[in-house]
Amino acid sequence: MSVTENWEPKIIGFCCNWCSYAGADLAGVSRMSYPANLRVLRVPCSSRVNPQFILRAFQRGADAVLVSG
Amino acid sequence: MVAAVQHPNIKLLTYSEVEEVSGYIGNFEVAIRQKARYVDHSICTGCGTCWEKCPTRVNSEYNLGMGIRKAIYISFPQAVPNKPLIDRENCRWFTSGKCGVCKKVCQAGAVDYDQQDELLSVKVGAIVMATGYDLFNWQQAYGEYGYGRFPDVITGLQFERMSNASGPTEGKIIRPSDGAEPKDVVFIKCVGSRDITKGKEYCSRTCCMYTAKHAHQVLEKIPDSRAFIFYMDVRTPGKAYEEFYQRTLHEGANYIRGRVSKIYRSGSKLMVRGADTLLGVPVEVEADLVVLATAMGPAAGSDKIAQKVGFSIDKDGFFQEAHPKLRPMETNTAGVFLAGACQGPKDIPDTVAQASGAAVKVCALLSKSELATDPMISQVNESICSGCLACKAVCPYKAIEEKSISERVGGKAVERTVASVNMGLCQGCGSCTVACLPGALNLKGFTNEQLLAEVDAICL
Amino acid sequence: MKRTGVFICWCGSNIGGVVDIPAALEEVSKFPGVAYATDYKYMCSEPGQEKIINAIKEHKLDRVVVSACSPRLHENTFRKAIQRAGLNPYMLEIANIREHCSWVHQNDKEKATLKAIDLIRRAVAKAGKIEPLYESSISVKKRVLVIGGGIAGMQAALDVAEAGYEVVLVEREGTVGGKMAMLDKTFPTLDCSA
Repeated sequence: MSVTENWEPKIIGFCCNWCSYAGADLAGVSRMSYPANLRVLRVPCSSRVNPQFILRAFQRGADAVLVSG
Repeated sequence: MVAAVQHPNIKLLTYSEVEEVSGYIGNFEVAIRQKARYVDHSICTGCGTCWEKCPTRVNSEYNLGMGIRKAIYISFPQAVPNKPLIDRENCRWFTSGKCGVCKKVCQAGAVDYDQQDELLSVKVGAIVMATGYDLFNWQQAYGEYGYGRFPDVITGLQFERMSNASGPTEGKIIRPSDGAEPKDVVFIKCVGSRDITKGKEYCSRTCCMYTAKHAHQVLEKIPDSRAFIFYMDVRTPGKAYEEFYQRTLHEGANYIRGRVSKIYRSGSKLMVRGADTLLGVPVEVEADLVVLATAMGPAAGSDKIAQKVGFSIDKDGFFQEAHPKLRPMETNTAGVFLAGACQGPKDIPDTVAQASGAAVKVCALLSKSELATDPMISQVNESICSGCLACKAVCPYKAIEEKSISERVGGKAVERTVASVNMGLCQGCGSCTVACLPGALNLKGFTNEQLLAEVDAICL
Repeated sequence: MKRTGVFICWCGSNIGGVVDIPAALEEVSKFPGVAYATDYKYMCSEPGQEKIINAIKEHKLDRVVVSACSPRLHENTFRKAIQRAGLNPYMLEIANIREHCSWVHQNDKEKATLKAIDLIRRAVAKAGKIEPLYESSISVKKRVLVIGGGIAGMQAALDVAEAGYEVVLVEREGTVGGKMAMLDKTFPTLDCSA
């Protein structure tokens, strides 16, 4: 499989409301900058992330899944 | 102090420790161990004969090693309650089975060597943490100050015990080594504070002011005395604080901006070598007494009590507030509040302010007869729950209970077990939903269907 | 048929200066289930909230997506607003297009706009599956436990006791007073510490 030059991975993040989601908020408040190809979903805890959700993301075309909590 | 004991609404349990906390906001259940004192306080008159006659002399913890107490003792003359307890570790009756002097001399018959620890259980709606601070252990970190080998190098708190009229020297400032009155007293600030390599990164906030007070007390109490203060900065942010510092300066305290690199013995005195960074020269000061302004750290055992009550501590071990500016008296655990130096270094005015703030938070909570619960919690579909209780094993909040339901199967009543969610305990984390293989558990507000729909939509 | 209303906030120029909101609005209006979509300078302000309330009534919306700052900030504000319009307060979903989008992608407006549209699509999809939730209540034991009998614990205990509630004050040492009682005079007033 060849990777085209401008290819960007589609990354789905499951972030815990109390830590990493808040951390992503803080990144915004601090005006930090990161690539726009991460899309964050809010979960009440990383333990809420059923492996089924991760598989579904891959099925639907995600290139990477981040679970953070 | 006496007010707290005498208030009809306050039940005071001294010599007691919290063993276990369970439950949740509005409904905590607390197990408290009241340690045996071996003195029946309900009949003890506090006359003091027992501790006068007790033959065992022990170094007084309360006086930080600068005084003696007995094995049956009160910490200081104004202790509340003003009745003694027996220190089992040092009492001859407990160590050798002989003695019994205190029991013999007690007119009231209050000494009871068979007293046992008592376990109490109380139900409360809220908890206030007020466990305070302990001083940074400078002896382990500061070799240049002698690792504690020089008796005349003391902490600010030891200085307080000496200058306190009911302390071991009855208010007289002395050199611990020979009891002589010190003439030249050196104070060193930021011992452990603002020192990343040896101590803590933070400023302890109180030391600038109490050092100014100590210097003032030396100059006031001891004729022809001199006070030298080695400092990094002088921080006086508080009402009437800068004025107080200026007053000490005008009384003749010598402030030297710079760190001390070494303290060594010079005859009967101590030589303090440091730098005056404003003049750019090395300095040496001969001292009779050196007082260290040691950093404030969290109280010993505060990590364990935080774990028992169930909230987090910060990188320095102080209790973590819910928000540094907007919610400084709250923890992230609903119903648990913070007061005083357990949250971070604080002086008395700030401590009192925070304690009153925490009290208002408590009153606001207790003023309600009922609390609305967050509806985003787990729910069980009993018709497909297999009763395996895998959910119970993963629940971090002990919110899943077993429940027996009866169903009609083929015309017959059948009893079976299913999981049941306690809505007061469930915090809505959703762990159980993942552990549930039949899919009987779902989290309201973050259902499987909702999350899958989100994944689908965002991957489009 | 679900009737979702989408409300995109400019947050002054915080969002509007990066995300092309008119373009996003056009895209979002086409999402399935979206019955109404609009934008406003400050959605959390009183007029902004009024806009949501009026739209709910006028367009018979049964659920709302607010596309603005982090839900950790204003979720409750908007829950109360839609409740004022007669909806269940939980018929709300927030798309975080400020902290998670405009503020972190200021240098790439095009990608920020595309991402904002994706984030709103997620919120609309979730909104399609939400159901009314109802709070229940638990009782409150009118007693407080204070752990530590130093100045902080005693002050808190006295204040709560004065308000008429029961206090259990636990101190691990044999006496109350803590570190404060060890002190001599206390600054700046030099009064005693007993």
